[in-house]
Amino acid sequence: MLEGIGGEILGVIRFGDIVPYITPFTLSMFILALTLTVLLALAKPENQILMVFGKDKYSLIKPTIEEMKFRRFMVIVCGLALSGAMITGDLFNFTLFVTLVGITNIGIIAAVRRPYVLEAAFQYGLICTLASLPLFGAAAIVLGTAGTLSLHELETLSVLPMAKILLAFGVAGETGIAPFYAAKAEVFRAPGAPYILMVHLSAIMVVIRTAEILLLL
Amino acid sequence: MKWMDKAWMILSDPKELPKIFAISILFVFFVGILLNYPYYPDQLYPKSFELSGLYPYDRGGTPLKEPAKIVAQYPQNSEMIGWITSYLTPFSSWLASKTLYLGTTIVSHPGGIVDEILYYTRGLDTVLESSIMMMAFLIVGFLIKLKRGG
Repeated sequence: MLEGIGGEILGVIRFGDIVPYITPFTLSMFILALTLTVLLALAKPENQILMVFGKDKYSLIKPTIEEMKFRRFMVIVCGLALSGAMITGDLFNFTLFVTLVGITNIGIIAAVRRPYVLEAAFQYGLICTLASLPLFGAAAIVLGTAGTLSLHELETLSVLPMAKILLAFGVAGETGIAPFYAAKAEVFRAPGAPYILMVHLSAIMVVIRTAEILLLL
Repeated sequence: MKWMDKAWMILSDPKELPKIFAISILFVFFVGILLNYPYYPDQLYPKSFELSGLYPYDRGGTPLKEPAKIVAQYPQNSEMIGWITSYLTPFSSWLASKTLYLGTTIVSHPGGIVDEILYYTRGLDTVLESSIMMMAFLIVGFLIKLKRGG
């Protein structure tokens, strides 16, 4: 089944019980995540211009250098966590990577001095906190009912549908996808474009990887 | 389709979202609690239920003589498994003989149990767990610094 979804296994990385595996799918996602991280870390942040409607006026929003440095650091950590989530071969390890992606996503927008963005970020943070319960609950149920967390072993075992539902629920909350997208959509209005892209891309890539894991479970 | 319009309106409000998410999780948990969960007997990370000072982390073994019993998913990846957990400093082994609750502290005392599941077979998980906490501290620290105008 692993071969069926991700392609042929080209190799594994031996980290004790946690064995990340390399297939054309995971490898391409891993390289994509790393390349994006490097590009975003090197990119210069934008300055947002707000036009005043009906008048000949505009205002320039210039974030401070210190703020931008912190956000760039958060982008790098988020990118590394994202690449880890793409390649990992262990369910609990995957949930931890997703949580790290979630918390760094909040870090990227936490320093924005816009009340409406901060309000949305706070609500998104609440959802992230709530989502960690079904996310880790899914891993716990899988360990209890199947006796292992390794995705290589789990593909031959039967996993309860409830664990899959909880995993999907957890990832949906942690990455802020539909139908819980409203808070995250507000967050994209924050100034500082290249760093905000990471919030968006990490959600998409984590969802794609989750789809692969759900299909092979 | 008036109810659908209303539902989309509620979902588009960020302030309502955590409530809706919490209620939907509660619903899933309520369904989940009614289901039957078979316990897999051949567990990967078993715990001992014997009464001992290291409960529930008593995995046996004698330092430098015989390794502790630890079940790993891939034993070929961790060849020295069991040797580290069986080691206790003289102070810890004395403490373990005096109290029944040493195992609950894991590593919070000098020379405590270095649990191999936490630090050897599943070491990457432990690194990630502490990274998540560090990131949370970092964000709070930075926000406080911003607020103070530094």
